[in-house]
Amino acid sequence: MSKSEVIHTDILIVGGGVAGLATAIHLADLMAAGNPQEAGAALPWKILVLEKGSSIGSHTLSGAVINPAILKELLPEVDPKDYPFESPVTKDDVYFLTPKHALRAPFTPPFMGNHGNSVVSLGKMTRWLAEIAEKKGVQIYSGFSVSEMLYENGHVVGARTIDTGVDKHGKPMDNFQAGDEIRAKITVLAEGPRGSLTRALCRKLKLDEKSNPQVYSTGVKELWDLPEGTFAAGRVMHTLGYPFEFNHFGGGFVYGLNGRQVVVGIAAGLDYVDPTFDSHAALQIYKTHPMIAKILAKGKLLRYGAKTIPEGGLYSLPQLYHDGVMIVGDSAGFLSMPSLKGVHLAIESGMMAAKTALEALQKNDFSSKQLSLYATLFEKSAAFNTLSKTRNFRAGFGYGMILGVFHFAMQILTGGRGITPSGRMKTHEDAACYKALADVQKPFCKKFAKELVFDKQLTFDKVTDVYFSGSKHDEEQPCHLRVLDFELCRNVCIPKFGGPCQYFCPAEVYEIVTDPKTGKKDLHLHPANCVHCKTCDIKDPFGNIEWAVPYGGDGPEYENL
Amino acid sequence: MAKKILVAVLRTSRAVQSKESMGLKIITIMKQVPLPTEMRMGADGLMDRTKAKSSINADCTFGLEQGLQIKKHVPDAELIVVSMGPTSFEQSLKKALAMGYDRAVLLSDRKLGGSDTFATGYAIASLLKKLGFSKDSKEPFIIFSGRQTTDGDTAHVPSQTAENLGIPQATFVEKVEYKGDHLKVRRIIEGGYQVLKVPIPCLISIAPTATPARRPSLKGAIRARSTKTEIWSLDQTGADASVVGLSGSPTLVSKVVDIQKNRPAVNMISGHEPKDLADTLVAEIEKIKDSMGGAHGGHEESDQKNDAVAAKADVDFPRVDFRKDARGVLTWIEMHGDTPARSSLEILNPARKLADQLKTQVTAVITGHNIKGVAAEIIAYGADEVVVVDDPRLKEYRILPLAAVLTQWMEHKRPEIALFGATTSGRELAPRIASRVHAGVTADCTSLRIGEYAHRMKKTIFYPVLESIRPTYGESKLATIIGFWCPQMATARSGTFKILPKDLSRKGTVREFTPTFRDSDFCVEVLETKREAGGGDNLFVADIIISGGRPAGDHDDFKLIKDLVQALQERGINADWGASRHAVDNGYAPYARQIGQTGKTVRPKLYIAVAISGAIQHLAGMKESGKIIAINQDPQAAIFRHADFGIVRDYREVLPELIAKVKAGFTFGLAAGK
Repeated sequence: MSKSEVIHTDILIVGGGVAGLATAIHLADLMAAGNPQEAGAALPWKILVLEKGSSIGSHTLSGAVINPAILKELLPEVDPKDYPFESPVTKDDVYFLTPKHALRAPFTPPFMGNHGNSVVSLGKMTRWLAEIAEKKGVQIYSGFSVSEMLYENGHVVGARTIDTGVDKHGKPMDNFQAGDEIRAKITVLAEGPRGSLTRALCRKLKLDEKSNPQVYSTGVKELWDLPEGTFAAGRVMHTLGYPFEFNHFGGGFVYGLNGRQVVVGIAAGLDYVDPTFDSHAALQIYKTHPMIAKILAKGKLLRYGAKTIPEGGLYSLPQLYHDGVMIVGDSAGFLSMPSLKGVHLAIESGMMAAKTALEALQKNDFSSKQLSLYATLFEKSAAFNTLSKTRNFRAGFGYGMILGVFHFAMQILTGGRGITPSGRMKTHEDAACYKALADVQKPFCKKFAKELVFDKQLTFDKVTDVYFSGSKHDEEQPCHLRVLDFELCRNVCIPKFGGPCQYFCPAEVYEIVTDPKTGKKDLHLHPANCVHCKTCDIKDPFGNIEWAVPYGGDGPEYENL
Repeated sequence: MAKKILVAVLRTSRAVQSKESMGLKIITIMKQVPLPTEMRMGADGLMDRTKAKSSINADCTFGLEQGLQIKKHVPDAELIVVSMGPTSFEQSLKKALAMGYDRAVLLSDRKLGGSDTFATGYAIASLLKKLGFSKDSKEPFIIFSGRQTTDGDTAHVPSQTAENLGIPQATFVEKVEYKGDHLKVRRIIEGGYQVLKVPIPCLISIAPTATPARRPSLKGAIRARSTKTEIWSLDQTGADASVVGLSGSPTLVSKVVDIQKNRPAVNMISGHEPKDLADTLVAEIEKIKDSMGGAHGGHEESDQKNDAVAAKADVDFPRVDFRKDARGVLTWIEMHGDTPARSSLEILNPARKLADQLKTQVTAVITGHNIKGVAAEIIAYGADEVVVVDDPRLKEYRILPLAAVLTQWMEHKRPEIALFGATTSGRELAPRIASRVHAGVTADCTSLRIGEYAHRMKKTIFYPVLESIRPTYGESKLATIIGFWCPQMATARSGTFKILPKDLSRKGTVREFTPTFRDSDFCVEVLETKREAGGGDNLFVADIIISGGRPAGDHDDFKLIKDLVQALQERGINADWGASRHAVDNGYAPYARQIGQTGKTVRPKLYIAVAISGAIQHLAGMKESGKIIAINQDPQAAIFRHADFGIVRDYREVLPELIAKVKAGFTFGLAAGK
């Protein structure tokens, strides 16, 4: 039992989110179509989906307002009235917030219109997709973390699940369970934003060498229960301004779901300069704005969660394939920023990867050359068109909201060209954007010190919010937040930047403690709080934190987020 | 001739081999339970399992892991997981298969609905017998189980299954070594542990201090998906349908009420300097001073209230005294060395009260060796008659000879009520006896009284019924359990009943009883018994308990905690200190001071948890305290969700401030006492 035999599959999909499931469903459909047997017959090739969350959807978090058209493409046989949507968008407004007031934009900014779209809970939708996929013969296992890719002669040949029953120092304990080696002809990475395998793969094979650095936002949201009639299902509200500075790309949103529930959240660009900016705190402050506070006045917090959003767009996509491997969805960066939508692109990318996989299976050729079909399909796709029109959107906002709006206006006029000779604007690595704490005139933590007293009715401290994420982790395991060099924290990061990790982490994983005797500051970790958002992996100023997968089944328990 | 010998030799060697490893079967019995957050009950007082999300009962995961641990030493052992319940239990059986079990068997039958532990033990044993496992089996087997379930909390089913199979048992076990034809196990007892040599076949229930369950492997999960769960009906097991289900069970739940003691949300004490924290805490405690001085958080108060409102039937059915010729209240006096166990003295209190109400006698059975001198003391604490069973083989507690003694006495004397202290011994002995004498038993009661019961189906009022009242469903409800079989058996939670004042002028009779034993009653050997002296009994009566977790040992070996205790004692407060299991495991405190599920359950007026994370097992031992103050550096620590006041800070900064406050006269709102 200790010596692990190998698990064989034809297709291994890492990640049971929308992108992974869309890949699986479409591939199963294509296989069935090319293999006209009676329904229910086994698929000619095996498709295995692994999800690290305890169940499908438990790590899924999104806005989410989606365009139903894409589901018609993925699931032509399903009647749209069976879609697990909350509500069609009934009202769609954009507001500009000052600290005390709200101005409604007289028109919806381009690409932000949501007419004909629907408000969904992405968690609910993934659960629904998983059921469909299983009916189509896809094997889905949740609660399994994949910690490593397997290579042979530079080809990806599968992956391996994490060893469990290991103590904090990495020593096997009595209940040690070795991870399993999975051999696959094609491994599809659908890990969501900033996937740990995707990142290692891109580094090893230099897949993102020619791309702009990926830039991210962190989305932080809460699910609330409100008295009947407070906020209509299907009502969508986006806000700009407060509490964001003009030089900070970010905004807020309130969506009405069914059953009296609303989601309220913010998305904050991670290219900010102030090391004390705190997205969780920003959400709390946002909720105290009179317009938002009024909506939530008689409500009750139900859930909390956070996740990063890859916003670099077209120019930040890595090479999407290599020998034996393809990258889909948020892992690759398929997200259209101005419309705040990634779900339809995730599905589209999954479907293209599925087409590519089928052809590769038929030809029994899994080389990079064969899989380049994925990129070819993409270049001819609607997804490409969408991303192309807004290809410089996020880069344009790299200089703040005012310049950003100007850049964006120019891009609309030119069909997406950036104002540079090449038409391609650069983004900067989020981690490199910090100013030293001493150079920040009014740090976020000081500016809002007054607002950052939490009343536990409307506003909540981080730890309380983490409780509402349902996150839990086995205490007996190596820390899955790998701090590469603690000396760097103590001697450079804390003195210069004041320990930004304690602010950027929306789950209080990182704590800066002061020794009462010596007054020396040090970093303490609480990995059990982690909500798997990956902000630390992105925004540490020295790239000193590596996010690795903990045991499968650990992490948040999102419901309806 | 030579050939014959050879065959004989082969046969023996095969027999030896088979005894040791060949064909070893490891069976783990397991239950699926609703997640604690999902517990709710149907109108009938039974668990509503239809809507709740469920998982494997926490203790059962330890049982499952123990089976896998044995398999490390016996690689060709077959692992079988067995459960009883609705087909939705398949979900948990699959998980056991994914962990590495080879076979899953589910006994599922509507006729079993409403079964109590007696009926459950019987039904599971019937299934196991049908699967080929009983005391007469040729093939060696070991049965593991969890200690108890979170929805029943009785710890009865392991004992009752073993009794029905006729095999030896060890419960509350936290360590198992496989030794071929026997197991060497370490069993938790009050204040220490016992090391036992238990022959195979046997049943072992595993405490949650054993090796935690492994995660399923992907390979295991894939295999589990293609392994079919075998589903058995009751008829297939050959069990007698008349002794299972609601109607066949000797106990029934007559009433369930919510326990009204929702601790309000924690008041987190804020402040920048440790002194600010201490000042704020003092100010906050000043505000609630009046509610601090009250009684212990326990049930004693409600106990008296309950007495006043014992159920009176509200219908006009004929009244039937169901006891036939059974009379008298029996208790068992457990000896810890030369002295009776505290819990055994405690149960003399309810025994006395019930006997007075029923106008009958309290008979106490003492078992041990050279114990006659104890009889007078037992009378002084409330017994009318003491039965001394003196035998050198009874010097150490062992379940099988004790079951023989008490069963024979009960069959001989037919008591109407039999009470046991809910020690680890009482909690395994009472159910084993109950299965043998066909009686119902209620676990871990906090209140006992006499009432009557209107049986609407039988249109009869039964009286005088023992109402055994116990917290259940994670201590969120109080259930009243009754039955119409004699003896009506119950175990009483330690620390719940006050020991009656010792009255040396009380008169009583002392007699001896010599039971007949079988050799097999002594098949389990006690290799070692370790019990800490001191016992930590003051923890049951202390007004303030300050407990430390492992960090409190790591940093200063509990010095600050002990200093605070001493400062309080100097102010005339009965303060004492306790420890978490981790601290005890690390040698910072004797086991006698361990607070928690496997240690002591305490209910002081104030409990101060210092550097304790608040693991469920610890909470179980202190959550009924009057007020709780938690001091922990980790704001995420679960303890804060169960505390009245929380201080997020290193205790080394906070305790010196509190000690100074106490020295200056602050006593947490409590008056200096006796």
